[in-house]
Amino acid sequence: MTSFRAILGKDLRLLVRNRGLLVLLVGYPLIVATLVALALQGGERRPSIAFVNNDTSNRTVRVGDRRLGVQDYEARLSDEVDLKHMSPADAEAALRAGRVAAVITIPEGFIGDLQSGIRPPVVTVQPSNRSPIEAQSISRRLESSIYRLNQDLAQTYIKQTLDLVRIVVEGGDVAAFTRSGNILGLEKSDVLVRDLQRSLRADGHAELAAKMDPLLNFIVEAKVNLDLADVAATAIGNPIQLRIPPVPTGREPLSGFGFSGALLVSLALVGVLLGAAGLSSEREENTLVRLRRGLVRLETLIFEKIAFGALVVLAIGAVLLAAVALTTSLTIGRWALWPAAFIAAGLAFAAFGVLVGALARETRTALLAALMLALPLIFLGLFTQSGAASAISEVVPFGPAFRVFQTLIVEPTIDAGRFWMRIGQLLLLTIVFGVAGSIALRRKSAT
Amino acid sequence: MRRMAPTDADVHAQGATPLLRGAGLSKRFRSVAALEDVSIQLERGDAVALLGPNGAGKTTLLRILAGVSTPTQGAVNREERSVSHIGWVPHEPAVYRRLTARENILLFTRLEGVDSPEAETAELLERTDLARFADRPAGDLSTGTLQRLNVALGLAGRPSALLLDEPTATLSPDQVNRLWRWLDELRVRDGLAVLFSTQSVDEAGRYAERMVILNHGRQVFAGTADELVTRHGTPGTSATDAAERAFLNLVDA
Repeated sequence: MTSFRAILGKDLRLLVRNRGLLVLLVGYPLIVATLVALALQGGERRPSIAFVNNDTSNRTVRVGDRRLGVQDYEARLSDEVDLKHMSPADAEAALRAGRVAAVITIPEGFIGDLQSGIRPPVVTVQPSNRSPIEAQSISRRLESSIYRLNQDLAQTYIKQTLDLVRIVVEGGDVAAFTRSGNILGLEKSDVLVRDLQRSLRADGHAELAAKMDPLLNFIVEAKVNLDLADVAATAIGNPIQLRIPPVPTGREPLSGFGFSGALLVSLALVGVLLGAAGLSSEREENTLVRLRRGLVRLETLIFEKIAFGALVVLAIGAVLLAAVALTTSLTIGRWALWPAAFIAAGLAFAAFGVLVGALARETRTALLAALMLALPLIFLGLFTQSGAASAISEVVPFGPAFRVFQTLIVEPTIDAGRFWMRIGQLLLLTIVFGVAGSIALRRKSAT
Repeated sequence: MRRMAPTDADVHAQGATPLLRGAGLSKRFRSVAALEDVSIQLERGDAVALLGPNGAGKTTLLRILAGVSTPTQGAVNREERSVSHIGWVPHEPAVYRRLTARENILLFTRLEGVDSPEAETAELLERTDLARFADRPAGDLSTGTLQRLNVALGLAGRPSALLLDEPTATLSPDQVNRLWRWLDELRVRDGLAVLFSTQSVDEAGRYAERMVILNHGRQVFAGTADELVTRHGTPGTSATDAAERAFLNLVDA
């Protein structure tokens, strides 16, 4: 324990003394975090979507006082996403190649179906399976866009129906739902029937006049009930109303996905590079030969380098969290769980770096190798959810760490068992990479 | 048939229990034999030079005796179980260049488990004439001063034997003299045993009581400088020249 403390103290002192490295260690993750968050957020804000229009009829449907065509749908969707016109085959190829995040298909006869009202037209959205998280977000976005279009249409239909109801009550010219003509209206019918009843009574046909009472009752009842149509239709059109209070100003919007990704990229690089450089520099400075002569056990040295990386990751993670909490709109909570997440992730990142550091002879080589190995694996952890790539991302620290960060930032409720299982997975990976690093270092130093 | 040379262990068989004894040491790196059946021993106050041309196996032997490397065959017996009583001074200075001289020594005295690391650090700085450079980063020290720090770190924990791998290779003549004066003082005063490798027969003759010569991983001589001249020499103009010729006769043979 004394040797562990002494070496850890030495590494921390070297880190603090190296101001350039210190600035780089804090500044670099902040810059990387900002860039990654912006990149992921930007991608989330306006994803590229292939737009396949199979309705080439150029027909429009009259809804109220305006005519709607496929172009109107397209224009509304363009507010949300970046639409790219494609043929069905091109769209499929683009989806497979990951050039678009989803394909939205307008079926043949779309406007015809809309006009007939016999069956609702079906718009198909096919999201990419490359990132279920992104796919979920895009599906939700398109779903809400279609919902808003439907709601606009429903409102127009309701208005048109209510106009018709008003004409039925008050009378007048009708031109809706492919019908036209002049309607007498219930109010005028009421006046006419009452006039007729009075004339019949005056002419001594009281019995005949009395037979018209049910007709008068029907006209009055119908008028009263149709007066309620306005309220009922509004309620059907908006069963639940949504009120969005204005967003407080002065904070940059930041998505949970973007920040989780930014945390992963920046902290993983810090942990991996420190682990790799920490161990390889002992060899480069030739001090490993001194330490290995019984002064420090190899396992202690490996564990010290891993703990050193984890401590720095914890400190930088705390700085990043504080910066995000103070300057962005993202709510950071669960403060009690964050240290566990940072320490577990930091240990696993540094253990990965230590293995690379044990295999490399020089610090520069170790840093370069660590960077080249870590970068693709980090992005694999960010975007992979299925297949062989997913399996790989589970046996390196980056995938599990990303899911831990996401759980803490995005999930409304935390499944404690699942969360601690992920932490356990990170600790297990620390042991695996630590032992591998220890074996590699023993073999390399045996010569 | 290969000429059998007496081993250092044979030469030094009499006397007290050795501080350090390597018996039948061999080391192979894949198919290359770096060391073959070498035996050597060190006693308190000894000064032994390990001579040989490049690639003779000097560093390999020192690393095995220091506990940095393990032999393929043979065994190393130390007076104490721990290797800490054997100080190790590698050829390349093994120091943290961003730490000061004082911090380097303090760290290693702590790692050695010394009771009062601060006091021992101050003493080592004084004894190695490093006190005035104590608070300078090791990376800023001159080659000679850095080598002194390298030696000071080898002495952390008060070892009873010090193994030095070509300690004077990068030093100027005056620095070489100062280093040996100081090591002699430690040897005489504290009974420190010194085993050092060198390529200079002159240095070996000047500062060592005995010398062991290695060639192609094999031990070809063990004894004093006089014995080297007597057994393998040809008449020369001076003792140093005679020893030099004897050495060349051996390694060219």
